[in-house]
Amino acid sequence: MTVDLAEIARYMRMDRSVPDGALAERVAKLRDDALKAIRPAQTWRRFPIAEGAIASGGLRLEICGTLGRHLAGCRAACLACGTIGAEFDAFQRRVSVSSGVDALIVQAIGAALIEKLMDRLEDEIRANLAEGESPVSRYSPGYGDFPLAAQRVVLALLDAPRKVGVSLTDTLLMVPSKSVSAVIGITKG
Amino acid sequence: MSIISHDDGRILFLDGGMGTQLQAKGLQPGEVPELWNISRPADVRAVHEAYFAAGADVVYANTFGANPAKYHGDAPLADVIAAGIALAREAAANAGGRRFVALDVGPTGRLLKPAGDFEFDAAYDAFAEQVRIGAKAGADLVVVETMGDTYELKAAVLAAKENSTLPILATVAFGEDGKLLTGASVECVAALLEGLRVDALGFNCGFGPDRMLPFVKRLAVATSLPIAVKPNAGLPQVNDGRTVFTVGPEEFARDISALAEAGASIVGGCCGTTPAHIAAVHESLEHVRKARSTVPPRTVVTSGSRAVEIPFDDTIIIGERINPTGKKKLRAALTEGDVAYVLREAVAQSEAGAHILDVNVGVPGLDEPSVLDATVQAVQSVTDLPLQIDTSDPRALERALRHYNGKALVNSVNGKEESMAAVLPLVAKYGGAVVALTLDETGIPPTADGRVAIAKKILARGAEYGLKPSDFVVDVLCLAVSADAKSANVILEAMRKVRGELGCRTCLGVSNISFGLPARPLLNAAFYTMALANGLSAGIVNPLAADMTTAFRAFRALTAKDRTCSDWIAAFTDWAPAASGNNHPTAPGTPSPAKAEAEGESAISTAIRHGLKSDAAAAAKTALESGAKPLDVINKSIVPALEIVGKGFESGRVFLPQLLMAAEAAGAAFEVVRSAMPAHDGAAVKGPIVIATVKGDIHDIGKNICRALLENYGFKVIDLGRDVPPEKVLEAARREKARLVGLSALMTTTVCFMEETVKLLHEKLPDCKVTVGGAVLTADYAAKIGADHYSKDAMGLVRYAEQLFQ
Repeated sequence: MTVDLAEIARYMRMDRSVPDGALAERVAKLRDDALKAIRPAQTWRRFPIAEGAIASGGLRLEICGTLGRHLAGCRAACLACGTIGAEFDAFQRRVSVSSGVDALIVQAIGAALIEKLMDRLEDEIRANLAEGESPVSRYSPGYGDFPLAAQRVVLALLDAPRKVGVSLTDTLLMVPSKSVSAVIGITKG
Repeated sequence: MSIISHDDGRILFLDGGMGTQLQAKGLQPGEVPELWNISRPADVRAVHEAYFAAGADVVYANTFGANPAKYHGDAPLADVIAAGIALAREAAANAGGRRFVALDVGPTGRLLKPAGDFEFDAAYDAFAEQVRIGAKAGADLVVVETMGDTYELKAAVLAAKENSTLPILATVAFGEDGKLLTGASVECVAALLEGLRVDALGFNCGFGPDRMLPFVKRLAVATSLPIAVKPNAGLPQVNDGRTVFTVGPEEFARDISALAEAGASIVGGCCGTTPAHIAAVHESLEHVRKARSTVPPRTVVTSGSRAVEIPFDDTIIIGERINPTGKKKLRAALTEGDVAYVLREAVAQSEAGAHILDVNVGVPGLDEPSVLDATVQAVQSVTDLPLQIDTSDPRALERALRHYNGKALVNSVNGKEESMAAVLPLVAKYGGAVVALTLDETGIPPTADGRVAIAKKILARGAEYGLKPSDFVVDVLCLAVSADAKSANVILEAMRKVRGELGCRTCLGVSNISFGLPARPLLNAAFYTMALANGLSAGIVNPLAADMTTAFRAFRALTAKDRTCSDWIAAFTDWAPAASGNNHPTAPGTPSPAKAEAEGESAISTAIRHGLKSDAAAAAKTALESGAKPLDVINKSIVPALEIVGKGFESGRVFLPQLLMAAEAAGAAFEVVRSAMPAHDGAAVKGPIVIATVKGDIHDIGKNICRALLENYGFKVIDLGRDVPPEKVLEAARREKARLVGLSALMTTTVCFMEETVKLLHEKLPDCKVTVGGAVLTADYAAKIGADHYSKDAMGLVRYAEQLFQ
């Protein structure tokens, strides 16, 4: 798995301009180091949606509000979680000590990598769907009025701490920091 | 026989998967499996019975997630654990014979600091409660399993040791790349667990037995303890969103036999394995007898992810720079709580090639136990090098050792009874290697034999606590040759004797040799080479001193340690003799000529605008050498160049990475000029500004960028780090008489702590301004929580600071 300079530049908020010169060299070098520090892991599981919720094992994820509208008409959804791992965070902490530029670049590399990982995870889900089914774009806790607190349920239903090493802080941040969880609705036809 | 190893070399059989068995009986995703101990006891007992019937000697009670940090079921935790142990006990009684019940201790499901926000002590408390209940309920042993983080593993094993007398089996879950989630290698885990004195160790979960083989082989040469394996029934495969395991009993048993051949003597199965798997394993290994050959002792210390051997026949570098003795800046940083300064020292030494870092925070008046503890944890968050915890205060040592992630090097114990009685038990308890100083109540013996005798005494005393000679690294003490002409001779002789007579590794604080003499670096390097030639295992030196690292690399290249001279070549490929004929090596990255010098613009300005750090520093040096006044260089070249870039950023033509690179280049030029100026020559540092990421928030990228930019704009910044409680911010702001505090928060869930911090600061320090920033903040919101200013980005903060400190 890798990402190109243009993708990284997007996450450095450089609009459409692509790094060149000394910056490009630095980005390329840090990307090589970052790729040694990542350990991508992903998991997903399909659940039926019934009575406006995904319910299992005493847990309940309400499919309402903006999430409900996003998943309108879906009778099932996949919960998914991906991460590029805790070692990447350690790498990021290390480079951040000596250079703000490196900190910014590595942050962008991580953002580009997790985005790519989640795209692949969506592809994997798509490949596993039945004839005539298709996935809705992924929707994560924190989008719209889908509460961050829903992270607890999503990660518990996925057994994410054990399966991919992703857990939550008391303040509902996902750790490792470059991790994404999402609901991916499944439509028919 | 003990529970964990049969005297006759028979294999000990463990059970197979519990979770997958319960799922087959209807356990749903999200359901709390341990609740079945209460709600469906017959089903749980039936799983145990099936495993005993298949030949298991030990079953794991259904208590994997029953720790107070993870468990969220309706029934009381104590009841759930007690019921779990009781069900396994009943099954054991029904099976008859010698059968054992393990309290199963799995991870908390929380990530410990610094990877996450969970405190080591909180993890310890959770495990301790689980162990106390389990031991009371009648478990025969404690199994710590499926750990993916050495730090959590250490918390669990310590909790088991300190809250029960039961034997401990600890197994970890590796990824296919042979690393834990947090990056630890097989050797790293082995050294940690041996140091903590578990009874057996090994692997579980992760993958099937075939892929476990290379790791078992590595473990078998890293430890003499019994090795346990509990692999999955193959790699998990996702089928229609469900995880399935595909390796059948016969294949599983065949592969487990290979693991036993490689040294495993305790075998079972994890996810996806069934009683049929265990029966097949039992059948194929029931009559096998294995005797492990013992592993030659090595001296290994670890961090959370890396194992470093202190070698007998090679040498490594212990970085000495995090020690305030004679270092004014470090002393000030420790007093001010400027964590970032200490971290930079750590990273710089690590990049310069140090293998272990010494950490000493001995500044009079400082609360050493708490500062050492905090500093060790902070340094561990930015380097994977093992640390040498350097203190003479046993309380500080214990606290730092306890919270240290890994197996530390302890600096030091000496031959005084008081020191041995205080330090050796701590090394025995927490694991570690310890530096033995050859001095005692009578002082430092003048002869080599006298020093060796003290080393012998310390080793003998260590043996009473179960410490082996390989747990010691002897420091025969480096005394200045200016005070005693024979000092170097005695040191070298003593080192040879320590190696020859005691078989011990050695370390030495090399640079003391030159105390009181001119040109100390030259003498240090020469003596370092002599010490290396006399078998020094670990020099405590400054890895940023090129003379020292050159001596180190030269020695290794000349004595066949660096066999293909690859380290030497890598370090000196770009080497060129200095122009003056003074052939000292220069650091890599010598400046290239500045690009495209525009008309009327200085080389400094060009370098800054292009973000070329070394060019900017070189150009500043050239300017000074050709007679430019320092203040002019700052005011006419550096500041205007930075201003151009800053304006470009504000108007959207320059992007943040380019701004930061320019600021870095300016900072490098500024540093060159400042070091050429007499103190207080009009370019005094502005500030200080205290910055922090607020409590609860561990994302500190924005704060770090602000720090970098502020520093490069000439401000003194006290960076308190991340997840900083309001009181700590107040304390620093008050102590430093800071006029400005910058707070960062990234998430809506942590802005409340920002508000709390702002309120506290305004209440207690009404003259101190507070600026806030972060992804979720807006100017309106900043005003709402009472901040004096909202920094929309790092440049905004710089502008506000400039205005404030004008």
